[in-house]
Amino acid sequence: MRINRKLGAFGVLAGLCFTAGMAQAADDPVAVRKAIMSSVGAAAGLGGGMMKGGVDYSPAAGKAAIATMRAASLSFGAFFPEGTGEGDTGAAATIWDDADGFAAELAKFSAATEQAAAASGKDGPADLDSFKAAFGPVMGTCKSCHETYRKKN
Amino acid sequence: MKKAILVLALLGATAAGAAWALSAPTRMSAEDASALRQGDAANGELVFWAGGCASCHAASGAKGEDLLKLGGGLRLETPFGIFVAPNISSNTADGIGSWSLEDFANAMTHGTSPDGRNYYPAFPYTSYIRMSADDLGDLFAFLKTLPSVDGKAADHDLGFPFNLRRGIGLWKRLYLKPGPVISEPVTQDGLDTVLWERGRYLVEGPGHCGECHTPRDFAGGLELTRWLGGAPAQTGEGSIPDITPTDGGFGGWNAADIAYYLESGFTPEYDSVGGEMVHVQENMAKLPASDREAIAAYLKAIPPVAVQPN
Ligand code: HEC
Ligand code: HEC
Ligand code: HEC
Repeated sequence: MRINRKLGAFGVLAGLCFTAGMAQAADDPVAVRKAIMSSVGAAAGLGGGMMKGGVDYSPAAGKAAIATMRAASLSFGAFFPEGTGEGDTGAAATIWDDADGFAAELAKFSAATEQAAAASGKDGPADLDSFKAAFGPVMGTCKSCHETYRKKN
Repeated sequence: MKKAILVLALLGATAAGAAWALSAPTRMSAEDASALRQGDAANGELVFWAGGCASCHAASGAKGEDLLKLGGGLRLETPFGIFVAPNISSNTADGIGSWSLEDFANAMTHGTSPDGRNYYPAFPYTSYIRMSADDLGDLFAFLKTLPSVDGKAADHDLGFPFNLRRGIGLWKRLYLKPGPVISEPVTQDGLDTVLWERGRYLVEGPGHCGECHTPRDFAGGLELTRWLGGAPAQTGEGSIPDITPTDGGFGGWNAADIAYYLESGFTPEYDSVGGEMVHVQENMAKLPASDREAIAAYLKAIPPVAVQPN
């Protein structure tokens, strides 16, 4: 059951297509940023599953998880225009009230993914230990941003 | 607004005099006090994390060693006004360095200060009342080992009538109850009763999970019939999720999922913990794995709270 769930996450990743999201961006930034974050969740599921041992490690899967995080960290911040903090969104008002703090969390996220992408190379981290070293710091950036800039609806 | 008027009426009644006696601060019985003993600081550290004291009494945003500097200062913005957590460091002038164990136990379990004033329930003694005498002694021994921090925290910023501490005495009569909330597990199926009871102790007592996850009535008391059924956030925006085994909701998490969340901060969908739960999760991660398993066992065998139409 657990394993299927994680493999399902891989399917989501494989099918992930940012360009479709971009086309929609102008009229629905909330939907785009949520789609980006759910791809982050899926990549975390795949990567976390491999780190925990529920899913077998392969360099290609490691690379996919890292590349998804990299793309998300570069694009996510562009979908928070003023006035999109109400309604069906988990974005907290602090994103706009404390824009510098939010930018700092985005910067930490992209710095972590940049390092991971560099370590990943052309074929992905060769073994599970090198994957853990590259991916662990990315997984460490979620909490502090969610602590202050996300609310539960 | 209607709520505020009701509360006003309630507290007004105490000022009227008839309820004066009822609102007197209470203390532990001689029997309870005699069960107290200076404890073991090493276990006290675990009680300290389980109780989340640093989340309110350390400086906001504190990490690592700074979590052990309990100079107070965190501002809790609630519908009743702004509460500021006081200095509870070992400083004799500004903290609680000169307190006896009995003073401490009265504060923790009766919400009563050494000089006989009522504390506001923003200090979650309505949960801490369920803590064992041993854990209180151990916690006190641990607090004594922590650094002394100078300076009093700012005063609370509360309007009338909430600035009258006496009125809280009546509130305590209504809402300060020892004894368990959930008397027994809802299912016996493959259940380890000892583990479940340990989970109940941690959740209902030191962990004070109900203070956030249970909705409150007009006077700010917990609605125990909706225990852990989710609530609007008291401070800030958003809401706090239902953590009872509701079908189609939290019931979908198995015990291992719950224990893993408390350890790592990741949900079964690999969403990451956020908001005020971050501190709680980081505290729970410091406990032995068996305690996280106990909390999970408890949460899987309490009554599910139906979703309330709003
Ligand atoms: C820079 C801030 C930031 C970082 C870093 C971050 N998140 Fe998020 N996340 C958010 C915000 C804001 C939302 C709410 C978006 C909305 O609903 O508009 C969110 C929402 C989510 C969601 C729900 C998406 C949905 O379907 O609505 C998931 C899952 C998630 N994050 C996982 C993660 C994980 C896993 C990480 C770490 C690898 C992470 N996030 C890192 C800010 C962040
Ligand atoms: C949710 C925030 C919160 C948590 C968690 C919390 N406290 Fe407090 N505490 C307060 C507030 C607010 C007050 C002030 C109450 C008042 O002035 O009526 C207080 C008061 C106290 C006092 C009385 C101090 C004095 O100078 O009179 C003691 C002792 C204390 N807390 C100990 C603890 C311990 C030990 C823990 C952990 C087991 C803890 N608190 C956890 C908020 C908290
Ligand atoms: C200070 C308030 C507070 C306290 C105390 C608290 N929680 Fe939470 N809890 C929250 C908030 C807020 C969330 C939502 C987290 C988020 O935004 O990701 C949450 C989420 C959770 C979740 C995840 C539920 C889901 O559907 O995502 C679990 C499980 C949980 N809490 C268990 C506990 C337990 C067990 C305790 C006691 C040891 C506890 N909580 C104490 C505020 C609190």
